[in-house]
Amino acid sequence: MAHVVKYHPSISLLEQYSEGTLAAELALVVAAHLDFCPHCQTLHRDIEADLGCELAMQSAPEANSDSWQQMLNNILAEPAAAVPARKTSPVTPSQSQLVVGQHSFVVPRSLQRLVSKRNKWLTLGGISTAKLPGTDENHLSLLCIETNTQVPLHTHKGLEITLVLSGEMVDEMGQYAAGDLIINTPDHTHTPKNIAGEPCLCLSVLTAPLEFKQGLTRLLNPLQRFFY
Amino acid sequence: MLDPIQISSHHNAELSFQSKPMTTQDITTAAVGQWEEALAFVALHRDKSAYAELFRYFAPRLRAFGIKMFGNEQQAMEMVQDTMLNVWQKAALFDASRGCASTWIFTIARNVRFDMLRKKQSRKDDISADDLWADGDYPEQEDNQSQHWDLHLVAEKVAPHFHALPPAQRLVMEKVYLDELSHQEVSEQLGIPLGTVKSRIRLALDRLREAIDGPRS
Repeated sequence: MAHVVKYHPSISLLEQYSEGTLAAELALVVAAHLDFCPHCQTLHRDIEADLGCELAMQSAPEANSDSWQQMLNNILAEPAAAVPARKTSPVTPSQSQLVVGQHSFVVPRSLQRLVSKRNKWLTLGGISTAKLPGTDENHLSLLCIETNTQVPLHTHKGLEITLVLSGEMVDEMGQYAAGDLIINTPDHTHTPKNIAGEPCLCLSVLTAPLEFKQGLTRLLNPLQRFFY
Repeated sequence: MLDPIQISSHHNAELSFQSKPMTTQDITTAAVGQWEEALAFVALHRDKSAYAELFRYFAPRLRAFGIKMFGNEQQAMEMVQDTMLNVWQKAALFDASRGCASTWIFTIARNVRFDMLRKKQSRKDDISADDLWADGDYPEQEDNQSQHWDLHLVAEKVAPHFHALPPAQRLVMEKVYLDELSHQEVSEQLGIPLGTVKSRIRLALDRLREAIDGPRS
């Protein structure tokens, strides 16, 4: 992952991710972006530190009632968990590799477990998609675009959030490579294309228009181009 | 991993047993790193009294946080119990070089809460907190050559960009970096929430970083 990521999530999106209040599918896209982007990792850890301080500085009554004492005793009666030195279970090749047709991709940490739970690939023209487990409101899928392939012109009823995992892609608004996060709103009409010499693998979230309206305005404000 | 030298971090200055607003003197005399130390005792010696101190401080605060997030007491208490059990059982996983104790405890509570909400929807292969928040196995940070820059050069480079910051961000930055006020003091002086102070600093720092390093392209 030698190149530098250009398109980042907005600060407000990162804050919701760090808080744990972002919809799971969107949080997964942000998590995968972080796997590519040390800059956003730093911001994320900074936000977590702030949230930790907020927790510590929260005012609260003292915990000296009987029910707190009971909870404390129950916990102290539990043995220590057999904790591994660190969660660095080596990733087996089958987990980190994703094979689509004749192509093989390396999958970032955050997606490794879920990618193994994907539905089967559906292929149309040079485009293959496979759905990943998620809620009914937000559709989470992998998208593989063959070289010299164009996704037909489309607009979006809800938000379309795309993270490039491998290869390159261009549309009317820019050129994107691994780690770049692209947010399209209902106002956008675009024609993503893969004109590079290798297939392009993306993670995509589509939000259905109605269920999502409440969160929509929060996400749209500073958008993802904040940093570049 | 629990090297005491690494245990202190600047965030600890904001931690204190007291619930009243802290004065500058309180901040300098506060027991820096007391919770990190307590976690180290739990990790190394299964120290019940160190754990009890952590519990008495954090459990009620987690409850208040949980009620804010869930909107009800019952789930909030389930989250407290689960989070504090994790603190007891996994204290050895706490790595002070990655952040202070309160941050670690917050991240456990966040993950517990996330998984509780998903479990309620009973989805088996669903996205879990372990997928979303990596625990210490991020790739190495980029080498940052700007660390070796001559400080005067940096100051000269930064100054014009500093003045170009939006007024609200510049004011907060001046108070924190030139007047050396704490975030809390700036919040009180300006009558704005602490979170706003922090986010303005973050936004301003990112602009300055961009001005120095150039756009990320």
